[in-house]
Amino acid sequence: MSKKTIHIPLGSQHISLLEPVRFKFECENEKIVGVDSDVGFVHRGIERACTTKFKFDAIGYVVARVCGLCAITHSLSYTVAIEKLLGGEISKKAKYLRILLLELDRIHSHMLCLSHTCENAGFEAMFMRIMGDRELVMEIQELLTGNRIQFDYISIGGVNRDLDVQTAKKIIENLALVKAKVFSYIDEFTNNWSLSLKFKGIGALTLEDAYRFNAIGPLARACGLPIDVRNEIEYLPFDEVGFKMQTHNDGDINARNMVRLNEILNSLEMCENILRGLPEGEIFTKLKGKPKGEALMRFEAPRGELMYYVKGDGSAMLNRVRIKTPTFACIPAFSHIFMGEEYADAPAILASFDPCLSCTAK
Amino acid sequence: MLTSFIKAFKNLFKKPQTIDYPATPIVQDKGHRGLIEYGEESCIYCLKCEKACPPGAILFVPVQDPSQNEKNKKGLAYNYNPYLCIYCGECVRACPKPDEALWQSNKKPQVAVKSDKVNAEWFVLEKLKKQEKTK
Repeated sequence: MSKKTIHIPLGSQHISLLEPVRFKFECENEKIVGVDSDVGFVHRGIERACTTKFKFDAIGYVVARVCGLCAITHSLSYTVAIEKLLGGEISKKAKYLRILLLELDRIHSHMLCLSHTCENAGFEAMFMRIMGDRELVMEIQELLTGNRIQFDYISIGGVNRDLDVQTAKKIIENLALVKAKVFSYIDEFTNNWSLSLKFKGIGALTLEDAYRFNAIGPLARACGLPIDVRNEIEYLPFDEVGFKMQTHNDGDINARNMVRLNEILNSLEMCENILRGLPEGEIFTKLKGKPKGEALMRFEAPRGELMYYVKGDGSAMLNRVRIKTPTFACIPAFSHIFMGEEYADAPAILASFDPCLSCTAK
Repeated sequence: MLTSFIKAFKNLFKKPQTIDYPATPIVQDKGHRGLIEYGEESCIYCLKCEKACPPGAILFVPVQDPSQNEKNKKGLAYNYNPYLCIYCGECVRACPKPDEALWQSNKKPQVAVKSDKVNAEWFVLEKLKKQEKTK
């Protein structure tokens, strides 16, 4: 009997996908034996636009539109890279407020990912519950920045809006509500059959393979690889506000969910610490001059390490802006995980990666 | 089994997450990013907002019958395109007289219809601005 394989595509439009990515699976019966991926469906030429259409002080707003979910990380990485070139120190309060929004963004992004994992497991009620609770975070983001998603909060030299007492009070109230909800999710994700037992052992990545395929973000941390940019950079005081590395050893879908849940808890703790110990000072320092030279900046986006490379020659237009996004770096690891799994599990595995294609294709 | 019954029973009396719109209006927060508003009398025509605007949604172009503002020496008129604006507020931060000449409200823009001629009219203004720059 000859071995015959069949090709089944997943995407670019598929019921389980949020964003356009295409995986072409080569299947032997139900088993996936080969994977081919295509990620360039939403290319918008943002890197090119940054060097031809916009001046350096407007690019912070342009790169924020690369991705809706990690808009803050994009604009922050770019802004910090430019601040590095211009020189000058920004106030501690602005740094703390930047971390606050960064962590709020991480909370809502992880909640979105968890809700879609539930949806792909066929647990619609949980999906709606998490999406409903996510509104608590969106509400405080709107109070703090004026927008739900495109915050436009970071500007070169600091942040755009100050935090008043009433907003801080509302944030603390809502975060306490979210914390109680997250504990209930942890309970569901550990004890519910659809979410824990069904996901255990599915889509596993070993620690060796995580090293080999250069996995980053929650995908790597779920395999026990302690890699987090927040732990490595000194620019923002993450250690002062109580950052703790969250890792898991299993490497499967359940492990990724648990890492995300624990990260939400850690982020909530960090937000609380920031609000209780917010330093006094100005939120904005005017920086003068034009960027000259090269700068490289890394930040931890909700999906992993985001890297910005900026090159300027002392004029208002930059020579080069290069964006390396977390999902793009994880594509080899994604493809490897699919090998040997059943085709029916593919949507659930894909949802657990939390891929962001608008970042990747930019 | 029992806990799930209790949960299901409790859910019957839970308030819905959604708002009964339009019967219940959506309350817009005071700090919500909305339309940029302009006070012609206080404007000093420094054109800082025009330069600061990332998408170029503010244009000062010369007109035949300019306003009576004495600072308006070049005979310019303020033009704002709410459909191009990204509501970042960079113009308000650049303005030397914020709250008087330029401020951000929490109002939403009206939905643009064909009769507004948003595109065609705006492209003419952009062309005018380009010609003025090249002069």
